[in-house]
Amino acid sequence: MAAWPLRCCSRFDGMEKKRILIIDDEASFTRMVKLNLEKTGDFEVREENRALNGVAAAKDFKPDLILLDVVMPGADGGDVAQQIHADRHLKDVPVVFLTATVSPREAGAGGLQSGGALFLGKPVSVDNLIQCINQLVRKPAQPESIF
Amino acid sequence: MREYLAEPSFADFTLVHAASLKEGLDRLGAGGIDLVLLDLTLPDCTGLETFTRAAAAAPGTPIIVLSGQDDESLAVNTVHQGAQDYLVKGQGVDARIIARSMRYAIERKRFEEALAKERDLLHTLLNNLPDRIYFKDQKSRFMRISKAVWEQFKLPGPKEAIGKTDLDFFAPEHAATALKDEQEIMRTGEAILGKVEKEILPDGSVTWAFSSKFPLKDKRGRIVGNFGISRDITEQKRAEEKLQQANAELALKQEQLQEALTELQASHEAVKSAQFQLIQAEKMQSVGRLAAGVAHEVKNPLAILRMGIDYLSKNLQKPDEETNLILSDMAEALRRADTIIMGLLDFSATRALDLVAQDVSVVLGQSLALVRHEAGPSIKVVRELETDLPPVKLDQNRIKQVFVNLLENAIHAMPSGGTLIVRSGMRQLTPQDIGHDQERRFGEQFRAGQNVVFAEVLDTGQGIPKDKLANVFDPFFTTKPAGKGTGLGLTVAKKIVELHGGELDIRNRPDGGVAATVLFKI
Repeated sequence: MAAWPLRCCSRFDGMEKKRILIIDDEASFTRMVKLNLEKTGDFEVREENRALNGVAAAKDFKPDLILLDVVMPGADGGDVAQQIHADRHLKDVPVVFLTATVSPREAGAGGLQSGGALFLGKPVSVDNLIQCINQLVRKPAQPESIF
Repeated sequence: MREYLAEPSFADFTLVHAASLKEGLDRLGAGGIDLVLLDLTLPDCTGLETFTRAAAAAPGTPIIVLSGQDDESLAVNTVHQGAQDYLVKGQGVDARIIARSMRYAIERKRFEEALAKERDLLHTLLNNLPDRIYFKDQKSRFMRISKAVWEQFKLPGPKEAIGKTDLDFFAPEHAATALKDEQEIMRTGEAILGKVEKEILPDGSVTWAFSSKFPLKDKRGRIVGNFGISRDITEQKRAEEKLQQANAELALKQEQLQEALTELQASHEAVKSAQFQLIQAEKMQSVGRLAAGVAHEVKNPLAILRMGIDYLSKNLQKPDEETNLILSDMAEALRRADTIIMGLLDFSATRALDLVAQDVSVVLGQSLALVRHEAGPSIKVVRELETDLPPVKLDQNRIKQVFVNLLENAIHAMPSGGTLIVRSGMRQLTPQDIGHDQERRFGEQFRAGQNVVFAEVLDTGQGIPKDKLANVFDPFFTTKPAGKGTGLGLTVAKKIVELHGGELDIRNRPDGGVAATVLFKI
């Protein structure tokens, strides 16, 4: 609920920021992703380091895209993705798996498509990450007001 | 009669008188009589009967008939029946003549007895000796044979052989040889001693004899025939043959035993080799599991570093040259670390292959195109890629990874230039390709005579030191300088090829450089 006014505010920038939720137990990594993405000015990033809170965080934040770690304590990334897709508000939100079990060479710069999910191998460069996000989230410039 | 006997001519004799045949026979029965002077006309018997009864009572004792009858027929009869002499009383027969006749009779009898004894000995010899004895005339006709001979000829007695030759009892080839020998003996007078003869009987049966043959001479020393003695050594010969056969069988058995031993040793070697490979595989699996775990744990911190370096690179206000260099070095170090981790993950990967029927020549050609620029102008590239190879089911990306690895290794092996040969084709595996010798060859998955598709990368570099050749597939083994190789390339390449049911073989070329060969089953 708290995020909604922020989103409203961003509309007035003329170009709406893409909202990215990153769910990963590695706090240093999520912080680094947040810093990198937000520094560009195009993204608003929320970190969630507890897998079990992932779905709740998504419902709350209403992201345009979710970056999801695969191997996490508490819950598997796959399970979290399943719950997200099962949710009627979230089912259309694209999920990108960030995983250490797939090498970037295997995944390729554009990510590895497997079973409808996109995989990005760690370590991923900021440029590749942004490129991947932009491919999946193409937000048209919104009218000044829809209300 | 008594008057005669009183003469001095009889001084050497002790005379005993019997008045009747009965008295005479009784006296003879008592023994000690050397000669009988017999009158055929006695009170109790007359004529020839007197002689026959006396001769029967004293067999072997010479009898001289002294008769009053000048009966030629009776004389012939009595002499025929064994009388030594027939003297007619009064017809010029005096004491001296009687005495001489008596002496002759006794001597003759002694000589006959000696002769008979000799004859008996000869008969005993001929009838009892198991050795075969024969006497032949100048035409090699049998004159006399021992019992062993007529038994060999299956005759009822010796007489049936007299006048016959070997040709009547043996097969022609043996008879001819024997005849030739005998003629030679009779011509030269030289004996043949101890000859082993193969005797073939008309029914085809074979016997063996150990024979000696001699010339037969008359009293004047003229050769009038030949004689010989031979012993049947068939049993001995058969025993010898059996022994030889047994020896041969023993030798064969020994040979078979040796072969079995060799096979056993080979199997033992194979088992040892398999055991070694099993241990290696087990080790590799453990390394694989460990690698996957380590890779995962290392990738997260690497991801943080990557993001951090990216952040600093993009956001530093007016970075100086040194800072840029440091950031660039850090990025490169990170890339290297990531390459190693990637290799570990590749090695531990057990993901299913995406198998599609492909032309190995095409995949190898594409892989070459990817690294061609790395070769530079000093390396001459020779393409010998066969077209129209039978398709092989393979995961194109992973096999490309293998080919790229082999090509890069070959290029790195020739820093001062050389020739890179890239070859593909189909061939039949030879027995030399299969085996467990120290120069490693293709393993259990392949057999001699099998058709395979091969891809080969050959360089003209320094080759791999012999003591290191066995380690090229070990994880983290590298001959490249630090930072140039991860030591995982060939480990991973081998694993990928094996996942395809193929084989990767690395060996030094006889003329220098390395040959890397990948085999695929068709």
